[in-house]
Amino acid sequence: MMKPIFKLTALSAALASGAVWAADEEDPVKELTKPESSVSVGAGYWNRDRPRLGTYDGMREKGAYGLLDALINTRDDRTGTWFKLDARNLGLDTREIRADWERQGNFGVFMEYNRTVRDEPYTVFTGVQGIGSTTQRVPTPSAGSLGELHLGTVREAFGAGFSKILSGGYDFRLSAKSEDKTGDRLWGRGGAAEFAAEPIDSNIRIVEAVLNYTKQALQLQGGYIGSLYTNHNSMVDTALSSGASPFFLSLPLDNQAHQLYVNGGYNLSKDTRATFKLSYTHATQNEQIPVGTGIVPASTAPTHLNGVLDNTLMQVGITQRATRDFTWLASLRSYDSDEKTPQYRVVGPACPGCVDTTPLRIKTQTGKVEGTYRTPQSVSLTGGLDLVKTERNIPVGDPNPAGFDNQRYVPFRSEVNETTLRLEARRSLNEALNGRVQYAHSKRDGSDFSRGNEPQVDLINPVYLADRDRDKIKFVLDWAVSQPLTLTFNVEYAKDKYGTSDARPYGLTDGSAALFSLDAAYAVAENWQVTAFYTRDQTKATQLGQRNANGGAGEAVKEADLQDIGDTFGVGLRGQLMPKVKLGADLLYQKNVNKYPESIALTGPGTVFPVSGAVTGAPLPDITNTLTRLKLNATYAMQKNSELRFEYMHELWKTNDWSWMFADGTPFTYGTTTDGTQVVQAPKQNADWFGVRYIYRFQ
Amino acid sequence: MTKLFCAAFLTALLCGNASAQEDKVLNGDAKCTACHDENDGGVLLIGKTKHGTRADSRTPTCTSCHGESDTHMKKPAAGESRAKPDVTFSKNSKTAYETRSQVCLTCHQGGSRVDWNMSAHSNRDVACNSCHRVHAANDPVRDKWTQTDTCFACHKEQRAQINRPVHHPIVEGKMACSSCHNVHGGTPKQLVRDTVNETCFTCHMEKRGPFVNNHPPVQDNCAICHEPHGTTISNLLKQRPPFLCQECHSSSSHPSQAGSLPNGRTTSTSLLGTVGRGCLNCHINIHGSNSTENKATAGRFRR
Repeated sequence: MMKPIFKLTALSAALASGAVWAADEEDPVKELTKPESSVSVGAGYWNRDRPRLGTYDGMREKGAYGLLDALINTRDDRTGTWFKLDARNLGLDTREIRADWERQGNFGVFMEYNRTVRDEPYTVFTGVQGIGSTTQRVPTPSAGSLGELHLGTVREAFGAGFSKILSGGYDFRLSAKSEDKTGDRLWGRGGAAEFAAEPIDSNIRIVEAVLNYTKQALQLQGGYIGSLYTNHNSMVDTALSSGASPFFLSLPLDNQAHQLYVNGGYNLSKDTRATFKLSYTHATQNEQIPVGTGIVPASTAPTHLNGVLDNTLMQVGITQRATRDFTWLASLRSYDSDEKTPQYRVVGPACPGCVDTTPLRIKTQTGKVEGTYRTPQSVSLTGGLDLVKTERNIPVGDPNPAGFDNQRYVPFRSEVNETTLRLEARRSLNEALNGRVQYAHSKRDGSDFSRGNEPQVDLINPVYLADRDRDKIKFVLDWAVSQPLTLTFNVEYAKDKYGTSDARPYGLTDGSAALFSLDAAYAVAENWQVTAFYTRDQTKATQLGQRNANGGAGEAVKEADLQDIGDTFGVGLRGQLMPKVKLGADLLYQKNVNKYPESIALTGPGTVFPVSGAVTGAPLPDITNTLTRLKLNATYAMQKNSELRFEYMHELWKTNDWSWMFADGTPFTYGTTTDGTQVVQAPKQNADWFGVRYIYRFQ
Repeated sequence: MTKLFCAAFLTALLCGNASAQEDKVLNGDAKCTACHDENDGGVLLIGKTKHGTRADSRTPTCTSCHGESDTHMKKPAAGESRAKPDVTFSKNSKTAYETRSQVCLTCHQGGSRVDWNMSAHSNRDVACNSCHRVHAANDPVRDKWTQTDTCFACHKEQRAQINRPVHHPIVEGKMACSSCHNVHGGTPKQLVRDTVNETCFTCHMEKRGPFVNNHPPVQDNCAICHEPHGTTISNLLKQRPPFLCQECHSSSSHPSQAGSLPNGRTTSTSLLGTVGRGCLNCHINIHGSNSTENKATAGRFRR
C-alpha cells in the first residue's frame, strides 16, 4: 500500500490502470490496443539528511535530486516486434535501465544496467588510517583528532541476454550478468574489540543457459548456471600505528559454482501430473590462502584449500484429481550438500590448540503427502503429512589425537527428524464470505548429541538441532460486507516448546509468534476509495543459560524473556477532486518494541554484571523504533496525455536503539588506549520531500 | 420509435452475426468484441499486451480462455439475465480455481511453471488470475515497483517486516518478492533456487565458501540467524548478540555473559558482547574465515 515517492508511482499507476487518452480521436480502438509509452521529468528536494531511511534510495543527504524516468514501449503490429526501454531513477544514484528488443514468437535480446547503493546509516568518527585499503592502522590517543567517516557499498551490474524460440516445442535462453561491489562496511580488528572497516572490492558473474521443451503432455527444462565470485582483496593487515599488535584479517576468497539441472513435468492423464527435478552443483574454492607477514602456518596447513562442495538435488512429485471431489499429491525430495574439501591440520601439530578442517555433509530428505476433499457443503478439507530427515556428518577417521570433539564449541547431532501434521478447512460461505482455518503440529527430535570441547558447551540444545514441538493455527476471513466495503481478517498463532533435560537444560526453552491483521477497503464514492490496514505481530522467546564466574561476575543461571512487538497501521486515499485533478494520500505508522529482560540468579560469589576497573555492565532497556510516513500527491491533467504531479512526503523516524551506546546513553567508544573510534546514529530523523514531475504519455 | 427499432435490430444482427464483424484486438475476437467493444471497460486493453500481438500465431483469442460460451451468446429469455461465459476470472467467479489456472497452463505450463501443480499456491486455491491481471496493459505483479501490493494481499507479516528499519531494498524498488521467490515453483518456500542458501548466494556469493574454517549453521541455512524480510537489528539478524549466539553457544568463558551495556570504555570481552556489534566486535568473520593463524583466531572466526 505504501510506496515511497521516488518509485515512479504516477507512471506506474497510470500505465497499470490502462489510462486512455485521445491521442488519436479518430480511432478509439487503437488507443486501447496499441502499447503506450511514458516519460517523467522532474525534481525534488529533501530538507534534511535521512541516514536511516535513505539507506538504499540514493537520497541520504539533504538536497535536490533530479527525477527522470522513461518507459518506451513500442510494437510493430505487422511483425510482432517489440522494443521496450525501461529507465528508472536516472537522476539518482540508484539508476537502472533495461532495453528489450523482441520479435515475439521468434527471438529476443536484452541489455541492462542496475546500480544499488547501501549507505551505512551510522556515522563513524575515527582516527583509523587506511580505511578503504588493505592496510589499516589504529592510532593511540595521541594520534590526533577523529575524522568523520561515512561507509557504504555500491553494486553496479551489467547484464545481457538472448532468447530464441525453436521449432518442435523448444526454446532457448541465455543470460549473463556481471556485478561489481565496492565500498567499505563496519568490521573489526578481530584480535581485539577495535574498529576497522572491511574493504570491499569484488565481482560476481552469473551465466545461465536454459533449454525448454514444452508440449501438451511433457514439459522439460534443462540448464546450466555458472556463478563465479572474485575478490580483489584477500587479507587486511591491521596493527596499531606503532606497529604493535599486528592482526591479519582474512577475507572471502574466490569461489566458483557450476550447476546442471533438468526439471520436468508430464501429464499422465487429464487429472494426473508427475514432476521431477535433478540438479548437480560443483562448487570450488582454491585460491592461495593469505598469510600475514611473520606468521608461520603449521607445516600441514595447505597453501590452497582445494575446497569442494557438491550439491545434489533429486525431487519427484505427483498430483492427481482422483475423483471430482478429491485431489491428492505426494512428493519426495533429497538434497545432499556434501563438502569434499580434504582434511588438513591447519593449526598444530600439538593438541589441544590444534585446528583441523572439518568438512560437513548435510543431507536433507523430505517426504510430503496431502489430500483435499470437497464436501457437498462446499467445504474443502485438506490433510497433510510432512517428514523431514536431516543427516549432518563430519568426517570419521579422526586424525586428531584429541578428536574433533575438542575443537567443537557446540554439541553436535548427526540426525534430526521432524514430522508435521497439517489440517485445513476452507469454505466459500457465499459470494461475499470466504474463510479458512489451518492447524499444524510438528515434532522434531533426533539422535544423541556428541559432546563439545568442554562440559559447559554440552549443557545447551542448539536452536536448529534441538527437540521441538510446534503448534500453529491460522484463521483467515475475507468478507465483502457490502458493495463498497470489504474486510479481511487474519489471525495466526504459533507456539514452540523446546526439549530440555537435566543433563542439557539450556538454550531456547519456548517461544511463540502471534499475528493479527485487519484490512479494509471502502469505496466512498464512484471516484473516491479508502483503504486501511492494521497489523500487530509479536514474538516471544525464553532463553535459559548458565554463566560461570567470569570477568568479575559470579556464576549464575540466566533467563531472558525476549520480545519483539510490532504495530503497523496504514491508510490510503485515492480520489478525483475535479475532472482534471486527482489526489492521493498515504499514511504509514509503524512502531516496533524489542524487550530484553534477563533475570540473573547468582549461584556463586561475584557481581551480577562483570566489572573491569571502573567499568561495569547494566541491564538492557527496551528498544523502540517508530516510523511515520505521510505521502500526499496531486495530479493535474494538463492535456489528455500529459500531467503535472506534485508530491509531498513527511518522514519521521525515531529510535532509542542502544547498540552503539554506553549504559548512560553516551556514544560507545572503542578500547581504552586506542584512538577512541565512535559509531554514532541519529536517533531522530525528520525530513520532508517536495517534488514535482511532468509526465507525458504517447503511443 | 422506428429509429429505436432499427437500432435494436441492427445491434442484434451484429451480435448474432459476429462473423460479419472485423476482429478488433485478437485474431478471431469478433464473436466477442461485437458486443465487448471499446465501450466495455478495459476489455480491449489486452491488445497492449503480449497476448495482443496478433503477428505471433501462438497468441489466443477470447474463447481460448473464456470458452466457446454458447449459452452466453444466446439472448436471455425475458426477465432472465444473460448467462456468464463458460470460464470467468472475476473475483466472484463460479469457475473453479484449478479450471481457471488450467486455462493458462494450456500454454504456460513449461519453464519455471513446471512445478506449479506441486506449489503451495496451487494447492491453496490460488489461481493465476488471483495475482495476474491479464487484460491490463501492465500487469502490476510483473513490475517490481508494484509487485508487493499483490503479494501483501495475503502475506501480511511480510508487509509489516519490509518497513522495519533493517530490510532488503524492497520498499525502495530495487528488489521484489520475485527476486528470491519463484511463486510458481515447487521447492520449499518457493525459492528461485533449490535451497535458502543457494538463493542467498545469488547476491551474497562471498558467503558460499568453502572456507578454511566453516561455521556449520552458515553452511546449513542462512535463515537460522537472519530474517530476510526485515528486522530491527543490523544485518537482518533475528536476535541481537549475545542472545542470538547463545541460542547455540554455552561456554565457561565470556561467551556466556549476560546481555548488558558497559558504562564506560573497556577492553573486557566480558563487557563487549552486547554493545556495538556485540560478539562480532571480535568474531568478525562469522560466516567463515580463511585464516591459518593460531587457534583463537582460526577456530573462532576472529581473523
